[in-house]
Amino acid sequence: MSPAALELRSVTVRYGPGCPACADADTAPVRCARCGAVLGCRRLSLDVLPGEVLGIVGESGSGKSTALACANLDLVPTAGRVLVGGDDVTDARGGARRRIRSDRLGIVYQTPQQGLDLDVTAGGNVAVRLLASGWRGFDEIRRRVLGLLAEVELPGDRADTPVSLYSGGMRQRVQLARALANSPAVLLLDEPTSGLDVSVQARILDLVRRIHEETRMAMLVVSHDLGVIRTLAQRLLVMHRGRVVEEGLCDQLLSDPQHPYTQLLVSSQL
Amino acid sequence: MSAALDGLLAGGAAGRRGYNHAYLDEAAKREVRRTLLKALCLPGHQIPFASREMPVARGWGSGGLQITLATVVPEDTVKVIDQGDDESLNALGIRDLVTRTTGAAATTETPAATLIQTRHRIPEDGLAEGVVLVFQVPIADPLRIVDARPSVTRRMHAEGDYAGVWLYLYEDMVHHDHASFTHSHPVEVEGGYVMSPSPIPRHDVARLDGAPHISLFGAGREATLYAVPPYTRVRPLAFEDRPFETERFGGPCVRCGSTGSFLVESGGEDGAPPRLVCSDTDWCRRRRERAR
Repeated sequence: MSPAALELRSVTVRYGPGCPACADADTAPVRCARCGAVLGCRRLSLDVLPGEVLGIVGESGSGKSTALACANLDLVPTAGRVLVGGDDVTDARGGARRRIRSDRLGIVYQTPQQGLDLDVTAGGNVAVRLLASGWRGFDEIRRRVLGLLAEVELPGDRADTPVSLYSGGMRQRVQLARALANSPAVLLLDEPTSGLDVSVQARILDLVRRIHEETRMAMLVVSHDLGVIRTLAQRLLVMHRGRVVEEGLCDQLLSDPQHPYTQLLVSSQL
Repeated sequence: MSAALDGLLAGGAAGRRGYNHAYLDEAAKREVRRTLLKALCLPGHQIPFASREMPVARGWGSGGLQITLATVVPEDTVKVIDQGDDESLNALGIRDLVTRTTGAAATTETPAATLIQTRHRIPEDGLAEGVVLVFQVPIADPLRIVDARPSVTRRMHAEGDYAGVWLYLYEDMVHHDHASFTHSHPVEVEGGYVMSPSPIPRHDVARLDGAPHISLFGAGREATLYAVPPYTRVRPLAFEDRPFETERFGGPCVRCGSTGSFLVESGGEDGAPPRLVCSDTDWCRRRRERAR
């Protein structure tokens, strides 16, 4: 069997110094009363299989974003391993780490400001990923950039407009094109539609689904919105206080939640 | 200034009491030399140094002057140019200070010079092996346009993260159909560090590649030195299918008829159209003398 596109193995992230009282990630409280350290996630294990869309839901502070930051190599876990395409990349540092992030991972953040340079053109924001991976032919870069922008349904004649002049929905499309530029092993989506109005949300979700159907790219979607997860994900993890409390097929889990927290989450849907 | 110097320096060595050989104190010269050796070992890498107060303001060649004074030996023949011109006030002042405090000879003729301090030009003559060319640098870091924080750009240099400069070139190509650097076009040194060649025109940038002379770069205001040793690969950043291009001129130099040199506009007052002349005045003069 081919290795998982992305794997987190028993990942613990502690923000703060840590002390003997909170050394055991299983029993420590989220915030240590003695040293003030906060546990972002504790012995979290997950894998995203090739071609699969895995969803993570959970309330604010449940550890979703910490898990995603570890997956995107933005954060080095306190303990545990991170594997991309079967390669252990936990200890990669500096330039090597940056190259793995650029060549093998793609991420769409909740806010475009996190993922884009708003003063740079849409095309430039996509091109920079190719440039970072060593592309040096201008025509070749240009073709790829315009192809990617077309794929995310952005008009080619707007490619040379600074992103600051784009609407929120269009900016998310630019982020998506940028994330797809190097055909990553896994696409990370961090609340990709949270800041958008409902009709734009639906179009972006349709686009992500279409891209998944066409490319069978592995994806990890983090959201607090069960609707987004239901639309995109096949398999689902429910996180609560830094742990996975329930795991299963998306439809099954949402129609018959077992853990009290999941039940609360499902029943809280508007 | 000249009269004051005359007074201080009158009577040769005895009159120079109070001034050390080559103006700087020995510890300062040693520090600059140590930094230069390090810079030569790491071509294109910016090395910080303790830039001293100089008798020229920072930003007026103080970095280049410190290198010149730390490098010059009495056997040297020194030439100083400002945009190709030996006779500008700043060039004159620096040449005066160097020769008077060291006893080195002065020249304006490039072939006779062994140590040349320059502001924003490389002399048109090919420089021989052993010649030291000292550049004055206003902005040392080519990544300044990407991020203004030195702590960030140092990391980028260390990791070879030059996507930001390339993005700059990409955006230029999209908006202007060519690279917009008229000077300081960033170069890759020996396949490693990306370096600012100082604000020399593209005509000169192309001439750094594989040059036999030693290039030393000093940024006094930014307290940074860097260097390119002889016969080093220096490649201007350019896309594979959009080659680096040097300046093109409408015609030859109206004084010497040269077509291969870097030309600048001269005159143009009182409604007369400006004329193209060589930027390197010494080179232009010698060509005219030979033709006579």
